[in-house]
Amino acid sequence: MKTDVNIPKIPHAFFKWYCKPERYEKIHGDLEEFFYDRVESSGLTKARLFYLWNIIRCFQSYAWKIPESQNSTIIMFKNYYKTSIRSLMKNPFSSFINVFGLAASIGICVFTYCFTQYIFSVDQFHENKYEVYLTTFFADRDGAQQQNGMTPRPLGSMLREDFTNIQKVCRVDDRNVVVKYEDKVFHEAVRCVDPEFLEMLTFPLKWGIKSALSNPNSIILSEDMSVKYFGNDNPVGKNLLVKFDAKRGKTFVISGVASALPTAHAISFDFLINYSNLETTDENFDPNDWSAFVKATLIQVEDPANLELIEQAMEKYRLLQNEVQHDWAISSFAFERLESLYRNSSDIRNGISLRGFESNVKGIWMISIIALILLLLACFNYINIAIVSAAKRLKEIGLRKVIGANRRMIVTQFLAENMLITFFATILGLLFGGVVVIPWFERLWTLNLEFTLLDVNLWLFLAITLFFTGIVSGLYPAFYISRFHVVGILKGSLKFGKKNRLTKVLLGFQLILACLIISSAVMFTQNTGYVAKRSWGYNQDDALYARLSDPSGFELLSDAMSQNPDVLKISGSGQHLGNGSVKTIVTMPDRAYEVDQLAVDPNYFQTMGIQLTEGRAFRENFESDKRTVIVNLQFVENLALSNPIGQLIKIDSINYEIVGVAKDFHAHSFENKILPTLFTVVDEEEYSYLSMQVRSGTNQSVYEDLRANWIALFPEIPFQGGYQEDVWGGYFKEIGLHGKVWRGIASVAILLAILGLYGLVTLNVSGRFKEFSIRQVLGAEWRNIATSIARNYIVLFTVSLSVGIPISYLTVDFLFDFAYHYHIPMNFLGVSVSAGLLITILLVTIIAQVGKVSKTSPVEGLKVE
Amino acid sequence: MGRTYLGEFEEIVLLTVGILYEDAYAVAITKEITKQSARPVNVSAVHKSLYRLEKKGMLKSRLSDPESKRGGKRKRLFTITPYGKTALDESMDLRTKMRNQIPDLAFKWDIG
Repeated sequence: MKTDVNIPKIPHAFFKWYCKPERYEKIHGDLEEFFYDRVESSGLTKARLFYLWNIIRCFQSYAWKIPESQNSTIIMFKNYYKTSIRSLMKNPFSSFINVFGLAASIGICVFTYCFTQYIFSVDQFHENKYEVYLTTFFADRDGAQQQNGMTPRPLGSMLREDFTNIQKVCRVDDRNVVVKYEDKVFHEAVRCVDPEFLEMLTFPLKWGIKSALSNPNSIILSEDMSVKYFGNDNPVGKNLLVKFDAKRGKTFVISGVASALPTAHAISFDFLINYSNLETTDENFDPNDWSAFVKATLIQVEDPANLELIEQAMEKYRLLQNEVQHDWAISSFAFERLESLYRNSSDIRNGISLRGFESNVKGIWMISIIALILLLLACFNYINIAIVSAAKRLKEIGLRKVIGANRRMIVTQFLAENMLITFFATILGLLFGGVVVIPWFERLWTLNLEFTLLDVNLWLFLAITLFFTGIVSGLYPAFYISRFHVVGILKGSLKFGKKNRLTKVLLGFQLILACLIISSAVMFTQNTGYVAKRSWGYNQDDALYARLSDPSGFELLSDAMSQNPDVLKISGSGQHLGNGSVKTIVTMPDRAYEVDQLAVDPNYFQTMGIQLTEGRAFRENFESDKRTVIVNLQFVENLALSNPIGQLIKIDSINYEIVGVAKDFHAHSFENKILPTLFTVVDEEEYSYLSMQVRSGTNQSVYEDLRANWIALFPEIPFQGGYQEDVWGGYFKEIGLHGKVWRGIASVAILLAILGLYGLVTLNVSGRFKEFSIRQVLGAEWRNIATSIARNYIVLFTVSLSVGIPISYLTVDFLFDFAYHYHIPMNFLGVSVSAGLLITILLVTIIAQVGKVSKTSPVEGLKVE
Repeated sequence: MGRTYLGEFEEIVLLTVGILYEDAYAVAITKEITKQSARPVNVSAVHKSLYRLEKKGMLKSRLSDPESKRGGKRKRLFTITPYGKTALDESMDLRTKMRNQIPDLAFKWDIG
C-alpha cells in the first residue's frame, strides 16, 4: 500500500460514531476494500468522494448503534412521543387547527422580529457609532421643548478650535443643484461636508480614495448615482458639472464611488463635495453668520465621558446664538449618539437621519402588540381544543395513573406533547413568515428587510417563542387533565368538557379580540376611501405648477403659458402649497409663535382656489401691501385673536398688519396637522414657483404644453413641477397600505376565530352525539337540535359582543387619533361588520354541525362498541 | 411462517451468494451483481439485504482471516441455509409455474 493513501478522517470518524461496534469491522472492511480499488482505478479524489458517498449511504438502521444503557426518562419520552403522534393522527382536524393557527401567528411573530431587527440595525454599520454624535439643540417651540437637529453655521468650526477633547468635527449641509454629464442632466442634492465625513462614518469606497474629499475640486458619488450617470463603468477621473443655480456652476473631478450601502441605513448621500464649496460658490456666504443653519454638525469624541464637560461648555455658544436669534432662543445644546440616533429620529426635528416615513419605535410597538394578540388567539384555540378533546384520552390517562404515573409525569407528558405541536407550528410559522408575510410586507413598502435564516438571534427568538407558546398554551390543559381521579375516569362517571368555565372565558376573550381586529380593518379600509375624497381646502384638481430655477424665468414662462387659452390664471410665488414652506417666528406680547410662511403674489389665492373668510386679498399693485399679511384660521385660533383684521403682528421686529383671513387648507398631506400659516407679498426677485389655474379637464393638455414650453425656454435645466394633485407624493398609497395591512391581519384573526369556534363546536357536538341521537329517536327535528347547540353559545356571544363592541369602538377611535391627524369620523360600520361576521361564522358552524348530526342515523350514535 | 417473502433485490443477492459460494462477502457480491445485471449497485444496499436475509434465516455467516487490502480487517462470508434454498426454490417455482400458465395467444400480437 502507498503510504499517502489514507481513509478520509472525518467521514471515517462519523462512521465509527454511528456504526454498531460488532458490525464495524466487517462493514468498514468492505468500504476500505472499495476505497483502495477506486484509488487504483479512478484516482484519489474520486475514491474519497465515493467513500464519503458510501458512508452516507450506509447511514441506515442496520448499521446504527443502539444506545447501550437506556435511561428510563428517555424511554418514557419515546413513549410520549409515540402516543402524541398517534393522538395527533387520530384527530387530524383539531391537530390541523392547532398547528395551523399557531403557525399563522408565529409567522406574524417572525415578521415582527424581523422588522424590529431591521429598525434596530439601521445605521449600526458605522464603526464609530459609539463615538460619533450629532449636535442638536433644544428650543422653545409653541410652548414645548423641541429638539432640533440643525446647528448654527459657525458652531462646527468653533467646536473644532475650542475643544481639545473633540477629536473630529464634520459639518454637513445640502444644496439642490443640477448635475450634468454629457447629455444626462438631473436635479440632484449634493452634500457639502468636511473631509472627516468619510472617516467618522463608515462608507467604504468601491473605487477611488477617501482622502480626495479634502480637495475642493473632487466629488464622490454614491453607487446609485454612479450607475445612473455612468452605468457600470468606473467613472473615477471623469468630469462632472454641478450647477448651483442658473449662474454659478463648477466642474468637479470624480475621485471616488462609494460601495452599495447596507439597506438598513438612514444617513446616506448621493454626491459629496468639500464644505468649502459653499463659500466659493456663493459670494454672499458668511461663515460666521449665527442666524444661518447647517443641516448637521457631527462630532467624534474619544471618551464619551467627556461629553458632559463639552455640553456644559456649550453655554457660551448658546449665548452667542441667542444674541443674534432672540426670537428663536435656544435653551440648551445636546448631543445624540449615532448609535441611537435613528431610533430617536422622530423626536428630532430636521435631523439628518429622518426618513420619509415614521417607521420606528411607534410602529414596532403596534406590530408587537398585534403579533402578541394573534399569538394569544392561537393559544386560546389550543387550550380550548385541548381541554375538550381530553375527554377522548381519559382512558389513557387513567391507565397511566393505574400503572403508577404520578401527576407530575402526566403534566410532563402533556407539556411535552404540546412542545411537539408547537415545534411543528414554529417550523411552519417560520416558513409562513419567511415566504408569505415578509415578502408581502416588503412588496407593499418596497423595503428589503434582509431576512436571513443565518441569524443566530432569529433562532434564539424562535426558541423563546416556542417555549413561551408551549408553556402558555399547554400549562393549563396539562394541569387540568392530570387532575382527575383514576376511579372516576375508569368508572366513566366523569363529566367535563361541556361546562368548563375557562373554555368559555377564553372563547369570549377570543371573540373580543377578533371583533377588535376586524373593526380596525373595516375602519382603516373605509378611511382610505375617506381621505381620497376629503377636501384639501383649495382647488388642487385644476392647478399645475413649475419650479423655477431662476426668478427671471417667471416672465418668460408666464408669457409663453398665457398663450394657452385653457390657462385661466398664472401667479408667481416664493413658496408653494405642498412644496415646502419656510418657518417664521411671530412675536406677540405674550410669547413667540412658530408659523408657516408663504410669500405669494396677489393672484395666488384665486389661482389656487384659497378662499378668504374675512378681509381682502393682496392688492394688484402690491407695493402698498409690503407690510401686510393674510393668515389662516388656524393662525387666528392659535394666537387667540378675537378680531384679526387690522391686528398688528411682529415678525423679525417689523410690524405687519393682518388684512385678510383665509380658510384652513392642507398645504401638506393629511398626515400633517394644519399649521398656522401666513402669506406675505412676494418680491419679484424671489419667485421660485409658477402656478396656474386651468380650465377644468384640460389638466393634461396644459401640462404637456407646460413641458414643451419649458424645454424650449430652458433646454439646459430639467423640468420640475406637475399636477398639484400629485404634490403629496406617496401619501395616498401609504394610506392605502394601512388598509391593506389591516386586512391582512384581520384575515389571520378571522381565520383563527373560525378555526377556534369550529373546532370547539365540532368537539362539543361530537361529545354530545349520544344525547342528540336520543333526541332524534324521540322525534326531535334538526331545529330543536340546532337550538340546543346554539343555546350554549348565545349567552357567550351576547356577553362577548357587548363587551367587545364598545372596546373595539374606543380602540379604533384611539388608533385613529394615534396614527392620523385627519381621519374619517368614527361610525359604527366597523363594529357592525365584525359583529355580523362573527355571528355568521357561529351560525354557519352550527348549521354545518347540525347537518352532520341529522344526516347520521341515530343508530350510529347509540351503538355501543 | 407459512409464506416466505423474498424481495426482488433480496432474491438477486441470495442468488449471488449461491454463485460465489465460498467467497460470498459484500464487496464480491456487489461486483458480481454489477457485472451480471449491469445495473449500478451500492454496497450499502447489499449490506442491508445481507443482514436482513441473515435475520430471516436464509443466510448464515462466518468470519474470514484478516486481509491487508482491507486495512487488516476480517470479512463476513455468507452461505445459503437450507431454508434459504427453499425460499429461492419456491420463488423460482412460483414464477415458472405462473409463466407457463400464460396462454400462447397472449403473446400473439397482430401486426398492423
